[in-house]
Amino acid sequence: MLTSVFIAVVSLALFWMAAFTLWWQMHAWRTPEVLASTRFSSPDGGEHLSFSLLLPARHEQAVLDHTVRRLLESSHTDFEIIVIVGHDDPETAAVAEAAAGRDPRVRVVVDTHEKKNKPKAMNTALPHCRGDVVGVFDAEDQVHPELLAHVDHAFRSTGADVVQGGVQLINFHSSWYSLRNCLEYFFWFRSRLHLHAQKGFIPLGGNTVFVRTAVLREAGGWDPDCLAEDCDLGVRLSSVGRKVVVAYDSDMVTREETPGSLVSLLKQRTRWNQGFLQVYRKKDWKQLPTFGQRMLARYTLMTPFLQAFTGLIIPLNVAIALFLDVPVSIAFITFLPAVTALVTFVFEVVGLHDFGKQYGLRVRFVHYLKLIVGGPFYQVLLAGAAVRAVWREQRGRTDWELTAHVGAHIDAPGVTREDVPA
Amino acid sequence: MTSTLPAATDPKVPAQRRATPAAGPHGRPGPPGRLRSSRPDLVLCGVLLVAILIVQGWNIADYPTLSDDEGTYLAQAWAVQEGRGLAHYTYWYDHPPLGWIQLAALTWIPAMLSPESMTVGTMRAVMLLVSGVSAVLVYVLGRRLALPRWAAGLGMVLFGLSPLSVVLQREIFLDNLAVMWTLLAFTLAASPSRHLWHHFGAGMAAATAVLTKETMLVVLPALFVTAWRHSHKDTRKFALTGAVTACALIGFSYPLFALLKGELFPGSGHVSLWEGVRYQLTRPGSGFILDRGSGSWDVLQSWLYYDRVLPLAGLAGALLLLATWRWSVTARALAGPALTVAILAALALRPNGYLPAMYVIQALPFLALVLAGSTASVAHAVLRRRRDRAERRTVTYGRYALAAALALAACAYVVPRWYDGARTAVTTEANAPYEAASRWMATEVADPDSTRVLVDDAMWLDLVHAGYRPGLGVIWFYKADLDPAVTKTMPRGWRDIDYVVASPTVRRDAKDLPNVRAAIEHSEPVAVFGTGEDRVEIRRVETAGGTR
Repeated sequence: MLTSVFIAVVSLALFWMAAFTLWWQMHAWRTPEVLASTRFSSPDGGEHLSFSLLLPARHEQAVLDHTVRRLLESSHTDFEIIVIVGHDDPETAAVAEAAAGRDPRVRVVVDTHEKKNKPKAMNTALPHCRGDVVGVFDAEDQVHPELLAHVDHAFRSTGADVVQGGVQLINFHSSWYSLRNCLEYFFWFRSRLHLHAQKGFIPLGGNTVFVRTAVLREAGGWDPDCLAEDCDLGVRLSSVGRKVVVAYDSDMVTREETPGSLVSLLKQRTRWNQGFLQVYRKKDWKQLPTFGQRMLARYTLMTPFLQAFTGLIIPLNVAIALFLDVPVSIAFITFLPAVTALVTFVFEVVGLHDFGKQYGLRVRFVHYLKLIVGGPFYQVLLAGAAVRAVWREQRGRTDWELTAHVGAHIDAPGVTREDVPA
Repeated sequence: MTSTLPAATDPKVPAQRRATPAAGPHGRPGPPGRLRSSRPDLVLCGVLLVAILIVQGWNIADYPTLSDDEGTYLAQAWAVQEGRGLAHYTYWYDHPPLGWIQLAALTWIPAMLSPESMTVGTMRAVMLLVSGVSAVLVYVLGRRLALPRWAAGLGMVLFGLSPLSVVLQREIFLDNLAVMWTLLAFTLAASPSRHLWHHFGAGMAAATAVLTKETMLVVLPALFVTAWRHSHKDTRKFALTGAVTACALIGFSYPLFALLKGELFPGSGHVSLWEGVRYQLTRPGSGFILDRGSGSWDVLQSWLYYDRVLPLAGLAGALLLLATWRWSVTARALAGPALTVAILAALALRPNGYLPAMYVIQALPFLALVLAGSTASVAHAVLRRRRDRAERRTVTYGRYALAAALALAACAYVVPRWYDGARTAVTTEANAPYEAASRWMATEVADPDSTRVLVDDAMWLDLVHAGYRPGLGVIWFYKADLDPAVTKTMPRGWRDIDYVVASPTVRRDAKDLPNVRAAIEHSEPVAVFGTGEDRVEIRRVETAGGTR
């Protein structure tokens, strides 16, 4: 009897968790009107804001030049690019200086911190920003030339303090986990983030994010000790009521690549999870005005851990239903979380199809197969990253584990180091 | 304060193609915005609902004759309420149990307040609730399928007041519950907001309908067509996948249930879903429906006896709509209902299929909608087609005169017949013999607790309330031959029975049931209620002195 009640309670809790996650994940497709509202509206031709684009680069001499050249192709007329390099990284610095020599819009700022990380680098550059708006990109990003004009229009037409553009991993064909990784980004930037913007609580992404310079300075820039400084900035800004706008256009997203190996994906995910945990413990989100927002914040920041938990419990639950002698009604309840997981699975398959359509990529049958078969293994990976994050946070290890990247999404060859997607 | 881009959050901005046409060049009305806040819609629907409830509710316990099936389902609902499992005899997967689980829920409160009210006659009242909801859904669905207000109202009237509907919807049939869920599914699929979760809900409602009465399975393609037409191309794949997934997952809960009970596949010593399905699929056919003298022909005639307008004109309307698909806006809007009618008609035309009397129930709302839609189409053709501002006044008058003449002719044909049907329904006392027999059994038998009696399902609950032991004391008559759990308690066959309440159903089926037939042959009537074919006899078995 006690077992039955326990199983039922756990199953129902899991069910509601999974159902809510699914509901939010599908936010953008709820109605055609919602879907249309997630796009950038067309610029009116007027350009009134000036941009300072931060480009932190660390051992990224192989891709940096390409990225800067592409940024300079932007159709917007008023922007500067600030490349941030470390004092111990002469190769990247040389590439940056060369670019600065070619075009007066490019400037180089040297970060002299002993222990380096991305928020410190960006805080170093913040006083040098001359533009009305600070934008952040990563050294290997492919940025659409029309993006700045659209962002300019979005700021002016909405009165936003922050505009978050879309980021998309593209190389879904590279491996089974990159397929799932790409799809995670797709659902997050295409859909879920818009819900967060609407609800007034948003963990920002790591790049293609634009903040009014004054607002950013008032907030004191980025938290140099947080492993998810992007998420933290979003939480702090939305907690004090800053207006955040999210827009996603498949031809205007910033394209990125997945981590080059499973281990680097695990490390990256561990860092994010640990960062989310840190943001949770900083309690800035407690200033949010409504109970619903605080619940959303609590839930979102805890998601990696809940996800790990769910991934482990669902198979256990089904096993209990099938092999233990519990009443049929209880057995039915134990299937509820599995059913939600199944629905999520199906929507992921459809999402993959839509992803292929949106980006003109050919998704083959084998990819759908990989998506389905890889699902449980990806869950294990996520669970591992979650456990690892908790363990590292407990032990007080808060240093950055950098992720190595190969330039799979662009033509430039070579191994680069990159430390912040999303 | 955060939000998405306002330029696009304004819901009017991407006013994409409506699934059904908005106000056309001739001022044809499009689907309504919000029915809830439309006063004329509320008033019209409310008035019609009251009329339908009065005609269906008045005299509901006494007409039509109690049917065996009603007794079966209500008794199983009673078993669910009493915590005796899904049936008081072994549940053998004859139908999915969701139908009578709903009945149990619907009758829960009245049965708690007064346990004796749990009889077929009394509990028919809950079917009023079901009919009422279905009737309103027909109206809402009609409006969502772009019917003008009057035509949606006409559909509701056809559905609720056809004498055929009045007879069948009064009875406690699973089909009536399934129709309600199917209508809900269609209504959600045609949701004007095209919300992902409305389509998801449509799938859930459809699965509920199928688990209420499995024959609803055949309607699903028409539902899919409706959902397709009413979804937007940008979100369609998500909406339809959601609907199909929801439907499939909930539908699979039935085999899962069987699996968890270890009864999915046949085996010795237990029933199985497999056998249940096989039984339903291999039921002996009742002949070709157009073959004079076949069982199906009789069933068809029994429908047409009550009403010819709805089945025949409705079918014609469906064919008209399907034929004019290319030209008629209404035909395309009503594709779902028309396709439903076509599917059901095609199945009824199988050369030797099994055609039960309630088969037509699932077609009734769709017949009503396509008939209303065809009427709207004809009205539009007469009043508005090729009409322009320069049209001569005499021609316009001619149009109205023709429309009025057609409407009058239709009324002249329909109203007297339906009036008769309604009068029969509210005045006839068809169940007096049953009630008298049940009273006799309750008062004249000395020791109900140790008396064993064969009755038909419709009277079973009455005798349970009178103190007979449910299951082995008061016995569904055919269980005495067909259920091993019952026959093993009757080692001496008919001699172990004290009474047979020989209703028309019992007498009709006894010829295939040796124990029942023997019990009737070796018994004498001690009380007879009613006369002729419809009489109910109480027969005491002559046990020749033997004691049990």
